[in-house]
Amino acid sequence: MTYTRRLPHFEFFSPHTPEDVCAFLASHSDDTRLLAGGTELILQMRRRETVPGFIIGLKGVPGLNDIREQPNGGLAIGAMTAIHTLLTSAPIRANYGILAQTAAQMGSPEIRQLATLGGNLAAALPCADFPPVLMTLGARIKLQSKQRQRMIPVEDFFIEFGKTAAARDELLTEIQLPPVPPLSGGVYLKFHDRHSMDMTTVGVGAHVTCDEERRIFQDVKLALASSAPIPLRTYKAEKALRGRPFSEDALEEAASLVCEEAEPRSSWRATKAFRMELLRTLTKRALRGAWEKAVSRSNGGRS
Amino acid sequence: MKNLTPVSLRVNGEQYDLLIHPWRTLLEVLRENLSLTGAKRSCQEGQCGACTVLIDRKPVNSCLFLAVEAQGKDILTIEGVANHGSGLHPLQKSFVEKGAVQCGFCSPGMILAGIALLDENPNPSEEEVRQAIVGHLCRCTGYVPIVKAILDAAQEMNAAVPELAGEVRS
Repeated sequence: MTYTRRLPHFEFFSPHTPEDVCAFLASHSDDTRLLAGGTELILQMRRRETVPGFIIGLKGVPGLNDIREQPNGGLAIGAMTAIHTLLTSAPIRANYGILAQTAAQMGSPEIRQLATLGGNLAAALPCADFPPVLMTLGARIKLQSKQRQRMIPVEDFFIEFGKTAAARDELLTEIQLPPVPPLSGGVYLKFHDRHSMDMTTVGVGAHVTCDEERRIFQDVKLALASSAPIPLRTYKAEKALRGRPFSEDALEEAASLVCEEAEPRSSWRATKAFRMELLRTLTKRALRGAWEKAVSRSNGGRS
Repeated sequence: MKNLTPVSLRVNGEQYDLLIHPWRTLLEVLRENLSLTGAKRSCQEGQCGACTVLIDRKPVNSCLFLAVEAQGKDILTIEGVANHGSGLHPLQKSFVEKGAVQCGFCSPGMILAGIALLDENPNPSEEEVRQAIVGHLCRCTGYVPIVKAILDAAQEMNAAVPELAGEVRS
């Protein structure tokens, strides 16, 4: 790639409502790409990995970057919400601190201004950090087309590398989070070489709810980045922990099950064996961190 | 010509009404249409930070930003930082005095990242300064003088003229 290379030519549309986006997608979906923050799509276009005839710019579409507290105590986050906003938003910091913690580990301030939560999902890259984190929170995503609107669990959104369950005429508009149980806590840990700016070698998200006596794993959700062709929820490890008292043995067993479920590849970034080693260590650390957060909560309080 | 789109930008306080192709990045338009070559073209992938400008006071990689999407935005490039009659910005002075400029290629991006940081956080710790410039590569200085320049400028700006940090982008 020469550094002077320019973007391929395309026609640009900047609709003013989500409905206009969907109307355009309904008639032009084959050759159209949605442009969110651009931190992935612009690179793909420079490399000519994708050469769309039409680009729909989403930055100017109002309503797509709202963060709304829901009547049930949950939160709805607009797909165009910038990663930077996750660091500063009061409702996120109050109840979904794991999102802010994850955002702080991504890219640079400049990248975080551009990159969006919806874009991090829609690119469907295994190294993306938010898919596993949203899995541990039980998130659902809203897909809108000209004809209909549907909600799907975030686990069902990822089909294969770079491919999502969204039909060509559907727009990801919103991520919905259920309320967080009182005695719960979440942690996302990742390994990356430079500690900034680079791709995630592996990432582990853990969300733990403990019982009233703060002794037992009442609920556990565990999910991984860069450990399979798609973001991966590790159900076997979760099941092994549910109902069990917290102990180092329990963490050890969960880490072994995670390594059974994961199928990381070898690449120039890391061998499969190294990724497995990282997964074993980070799983235990993430579970321990999430457990400590959960047991330190006061009953009824959330944070 | 086909596809030319009208775009109005405010750059360094001046209004520009342009006709541009939608596939051109903000970096290309700043450098080629407006001859503002302070923002540098380097990695073109958002890795190096040399193309950093402030859009509505927030730092972004202008190589990843389509110029058409900057419609109506307020943009600050390094050329606008010292434009208010009183010479160099304290951060620019600090860069010169602390040896934070060697070849100078990263300096515009570093200084704009520093301005954005001090705008949000006038009293950053060394760790916060380092976090603010993680997206910027410098191959000369080893970063130490740059971190020191930003920390010293923060002190000086807080001591001397508390409101100066916000004034630059008026």
